[in-house]
Amino acid sequence: MQQLTIIAAAAAVFIAGQAQAQSTIKIGVVTPLTGTYAGIGQQVKWGIDLAVKEINDKGGVLGRKIETIYEDEEANPNVAVQKAEKLFQVSKVDFLTGTVNSGSTLAVGQVAERNNRLASTTVSFSDAITGDKCSPNMFRVNAKAGMQSAALVEWMVKEKPSPSVFYLGPDYEMGRSTVAAFKSAAEKRGAKSVGEVFAALDNKDYSPFFGQIRAARPQVLYTSVAGNDTVRFLTQLSEFGLAKGLQIVGAAGTVTAQNMGAVGKAADGYVTGAAYSAEIDTAENKKFVADFKAAWKTEPDLYGVDSYGVVYFYKTAVEKAGTTDTDKLRSAMRGLEWQTPQGKKTMRAGDHQAVQDMYAVKVVNGKFQIISKVAGEAAVGPDTCTKF
Amino acid sequence: MSEIIETLQFVYGPQVANGLAIGVAVILMALGLTIIFGLLDVINMAHGEFYALGAYLGITLAARGASFWLCLALVPLIMAAIGYATERALIQRVFHSGDRHTLTLLLTFGLAIIAEDAFKLAYGPNPYKPDAPISGASELLGIVLPNYRLFLIAAGSAIILAVWLVVYRTSLGAMVRASAFDRNMASSLGVPVDRVYAGTFAFGVALAGLSGVLLAPVYSVFPTMGKDFILMAFSVVIVGGMGSIKGAVIAGLVLTQIQSISSLFISPVWSEPLVFGIMVLFLMVRPQGLAGRLGHG
Repeated sequence: MQQLTIIAAAAAVFIAGQAQAQSTIKIGVVTPLTGTYAGIGQQVKWGIDLAVKEINDKGGVLGRKIETIYEDEEANPNVAVQKAEKLFQVSKVDFLTGTVNSGSTLAVGQVAERNNRLASTTVSFSDAITGDKCSPNMFRVNAKAGMQSAALVEWMVKEKPSPSVFYLGPDYEMGRSTVAAFKSAAEKRGAKSVGEVFAALDNKDYSPFFGQIRAARPQVLYTSVAGNDTVRFLTQLSEFGLAKGLQIVGAAGTVTAQNMGAVGKAADGYVTGAAYSAEIDTAENKKFVADFKAAWKTEPDLYGVDSYGVVYFYKTAVEKAGTTDTDKLRSAMRGLEWQTPQGKKTMRAGDHQAVQDMYAVKVVNGKFQIISKVAGEAAVGPDTCTKF
Repeated sequence: MSEIIETLQFVYGPQVANGLAIGVAVILMALGLTIIFGLLDVINMAHGEFYALGAYLGITLAARGASFWLCLALVPLIMAAIGYATERALIQRVFHSGDRHTLTLLLTFGLAIIAEDAFKLAYGPNPYKPDAPISGASELLGIVLPNYRLFLIAAGSAIILAVWLVVYRTSLGAMVRASAFDRNMASSLGVPVDRVYAGTFAFGVALAGLSGVLLAPVYSVFPTMGKDFILMAFSVVIVGGMGSIKGAVIAGLVLTQIQSISSLFISPVWSEPLVFGIMVLFLMVRPQGLAGRLGHG
């Protein structure tokens, strides 16, 4: 009799334990926690943690709490693949997110396919992820590179119809491809290209390049230099008196919080395309910024808000599908609309790319200000994914 | 007509002016190199590293509170001492063998490799950019140039003039030229040739160090900075004639102007290879360069 009671009690505890284990939803986050991109990974973590806490406080998703498991991708696709495999197979996560490096996102998409689970990136902006290298198991809730330049081109041609544009980029893959992408987008809208030059990465003295800029007399200068190159280029442009009367525009990564201080006054007037600004004047965004600052004592940036958004994306999809089963969830995600601090986003079914309104922002006194807005449909560009 | 003037003023003018600033800097480097070769017959492959050392000394002194002008005065003195010591301790050892050219080239090349890694260890691989002591820009005849580059042109020209005066108008210079012309005769006439050699090497090194301090606000200070500049300096020395001060000045001005104006028509990254191409041409057609050697022409 006593033996039977013990066995029954053990069985009850075991069953209860099983039920308990099945009731949390596990989201795996593979993001750079160390290395060059650790700052980005930190914002990703803050965004996700804030969203998970809010959702769990309100009762979770379909009555189940969300549990997050973090792994460090070190911004290295090989490491990201290993960590993703571990999360899918050992920790048995239901959904994966957090990859920053575009290479990592592409690789993790394939891991997700092998494990029959879904994943989304919140940072990577290489166009190929929802373009020719799209995957049926990978989604993107953030804006891609093409959307940023679309917003910028839209603003530029409204300000100056048929502007003459000169391009200067760093001489490697990123520089050449960003200049080529912006140039083709601008020329389609009537811009005249009056010259392009490429300077070596880490170039110290840009004055040899000013000759061609002076000879071409452009109205607009587009640049995709980054980091310290930006500091040198913009300050030298201003020292040589070339910045007067010249509108400088560029890639989103050219002037950032990291180098803005060193560029100083030379950054004033710089315009770029962006998917987010903490200044967006909606009640939803103001509440988000306040909550984020209260929790983490820092302002949210693009990576923080998109990572906050991905948890709500997943929640909305699961509630619409009524389950976490992969195929039903995928159908629910396609065409899904959900609310974010950036406004309403729609997940395009054809290529798993989120469609959202984009902004042109300008540096005024060391801070970015929104100067114009482009509707999502105009910015997102055509669906070039042919795999599904 | 007014369009031609406008183009000259707005497009070509700044290129010429900027080329002048770079030219003066390159000439300062080339002067030290050519004097050392002209007198000592030593090809100083470590000249670029002495230039870098001068720049690093400059920022180290500045970090301890020295003003830019104080650094400008102190660094050449420190570099002269280092140069003197290097010559007496290292170069003298291989100087008297028959293989002098090869051995001194290898020795100075080795010094250059050691120095570059030493800089990386001591200061780290990231560049430092000291602030220019003179800020703002001026406009002359419609050409805008930062004030610091104008200062470079002025100060550099003054130093070049001073070097020329010392070498050709003082008895010290006469001793140097005599030792270059005929070492044994100069020695028997009472010229302390060993000390003249060491002193000249020290002088060349001090010039390199001075260029380092002057150019640091423009080009930044980083471990491989010596390599960047030394190729240009060598081109100037070869085209100008190894050992000729006049040649170095003329070649320095002409080559940097070619580099500057050509960057209007071809991508600026090709301007330097163009200058090296000219150097190769000179080696093939007129290897002695534009002018003769120190003491000989």
